Amino acid sequence: MSQKWLLPLLGYVAFSVAILSVPAMVGDNVFLLNKYARYLALALPAVALALCWGQAGILNLGQGFSFGIGAYAIAMHLKLVASASNPGGLPDFMGWNNVGALPWFWEPFHSLGFAVLAGIGVPVLLASLLGWFMFRARIAGVFVAIITLAMLVVGNLLVVDQQRYTGGLNGMTDLAWLNVLGLQIDPYSRAFYYLTAGSLIAVLMAGFVLVRSKFGLILQAIRGNPERVRYFGYDVARYQSVAFATSAGVAGIGGMLYAMVLEFASPTFMAVPLSLAFVIWCAVGGRQSLLAAAIGAVVVNAIQGSLSEAFLDTAQLLVGGIFVLVVLFLPRGLGGLVEDTATRLHGAGARLRRGREAVEKSVDLPVKRGEVAK
Amino acid sequence: MAVESFFSQAFTGLSIGSILLLIALGLAIIYGSMGVINLAHGEFLMLGAYATWFMQSQLGVGLLGSLVFVFVMVAAFGWLLERTIVQFLYHRPLDTILATWGIGIMLQQGMRLLAGGELRYVELPGSLDVTLSLMGLELPLYRIFIIVLTVGLLAATWYLMKRTEFGMRLRAVTQNRAIAESYGINSKRVYSLTFAYGAGLAGVAGALVAPIKSVSPDMGTAFVVDAFMVVVMGGVGSLLGAVVSAGVLGELTAGVAYLLNDTLAKVLVFLTVIVVIRFRPQGLFPDRTRS
Repeated sequence: MSQKWLLPLLGYVAFSVAILSVPAMVGDNVFLLNKYARYLALALPAVALALCWGQAGILNLGQGFSFGIGAYAIAMHLKLVASASNPGGLPDFMGWNNVGALPWFWEPFHSLGFAVLAGIGVPVLLASLLGWFMFRARIAGVFVAIITLAMLVVGNLLVVDQQRYTGGLNGMTDLAWLNVLGLQIDPYSRAFYYLTAGSLIAVLMAGFVLVRSKFGLILQAIRGNPERVRYFGYDVARYQSVAFATSAGVAGIGGMLYAMVLEFASPTFMAVPLSLAFVIWCAVGGRQSLLAAAIGAVVVNAIQGSLSEAFLDTAQLLVGGIFVLVVLFLPRGLGGLVEDTATRLHGAGARLRRGREAVEKSVDLPVKRGEVAK
Repeated sequence: MAVESFFSQAFTGLSIGSILLLIALGLAIIYGSMGVINLAHGEFLMLGAYATWFMQSQLGVGLLGSLVFVFVMVAAFGWLLERTIVQFLYHRPLDTILATWGIGIMLQQGMRLLAGGELRYVELPGSLDVTLSLMGLELPLYRIFIIVLTVGLLAATWYLMKRTEFGMRLRAVTQNRAIAESYGINSKRVYSLTFAYGAGLAGVAGALVAPIKSVSPDMGTAFVVDAFMVVVMGGVGSLLGAVVSAGVLGELTAGVAYLLNDTLAKVLVFLTVIVVIRFRPQGLFPDRTRS
């Protein structure tokens, strides 16, 4: 048992050390730091997906719904901070849309604490409701995928439609910097990079424990055979809803960091292509492991980033191609490849040991005198 | 007046519904018979639209003249994809979502490289670019043409599925692949031809929507989501279900759009789909076969 914990834990620690030592390597190149912080922020929705898809078998094609809500929650706060000098403290886009006074539901976003709470809490709440609605009826597989996709489109349409309160297609731009206890955090700085890396590491470590807890075990059992788990007396729908909601909260955190790193929030965060991209990253890394999903997100984004710098137009073509190949030949992603190689090596060693033991044992098989001669 | 606007909205709904059905038909066949969730369906449609644009702007062939060519071309393309990629994923239905999305990304980018990212426009055939006045209603002839053609394609598909040797084989393979194979049916061939047929229908749909929507490499994404809602709400493998759900969603869109606005109409439509799936995951008209 301890060995089962140890190797993966080493992986998580190694990844944490690696991302924490990035600033030391890139030095004062704040543009690179910003780029890497963006990759790490995007790793969070992939981790969230690994949690509900990889562990509990719930394929959420609308992860962008939670991600977007997180992004908009923090953007509302930062927009208010940036608009403090405007007449009435009103954000610029509201002025363009003839909104006279700040709407009531914008008021509490003056507080950073409330915004952060909303960025996590609202996705969790909505996902709990949707999860309860779906899983009570034992909706599974493709139907979950379609419902979450429909939910995403609804969210996207509403955000675009309610231009007066959301900035519509343009989203919210010109956001202020995050201000924690009087400390301004520039998205192009080490401090911001550490904030993002720290959040990702905290989520990964919490996820590491969660996956290996009894709760995680039940989720995996549900993924394997929900009917049997139900026979054991577990409330399958409740476990699924909790997994779904937790995953939404993680995606919300990712959305908040992503809006801060880009300094804007846009309805494209809630568009179908980005949500399917989350699925791609998660699958390329390996959906069965949270760490693998995070690495998948970083790797795919890094490839995409460097390819599009090298030859602008063909980048997407190659990314799509890589993805098709991964689905065809590595259904469990890069993480699965590493795992298989490890077990094969381990298995070969074990077989060798077993073989040696068998040989040793066979030597003193008791043979009675005269038995062979007959 | 109220009666007229009612009929006018009903016609708009019928028109939206026919386009939805046109787009969803190919998807319904592929999903219904093989369980493949083809997210590249929107890109097949996009290919059809671009092929029509190319024929019209470069070769001077009109929309109607290019329909058959578009069908054959996109069907051949679909056949190729089935042979090279999709056929390896039949036992992993959720993975088909991922692989076909990857294919979709490649097709989008490929088209962007080939034809450029700007919007393209396809002209209506001159003979259809008129508006009929019927009992005080203004009916664009092209919309009527789409409705008629959709009904025609639907009838052809129904005939193919229920009245031909090929359709019988397909239904046999869908019901039980192993037993169908033991009767000498080449299931691989049946599957690849079905996939090609579904892709070809998407191509024709793309050609037909090209004049009313603008043509761009990423035009498919919105269509594929709508088409999926139609297919899932209608019930897997049910042509009748697809027809009814396309009709319901079309009328609902038109009606709510008339009373409120377009966006809220779409929002309500999607919420309706969610509720329907929740209470009838088998769809409105499930196919009564043993699986």
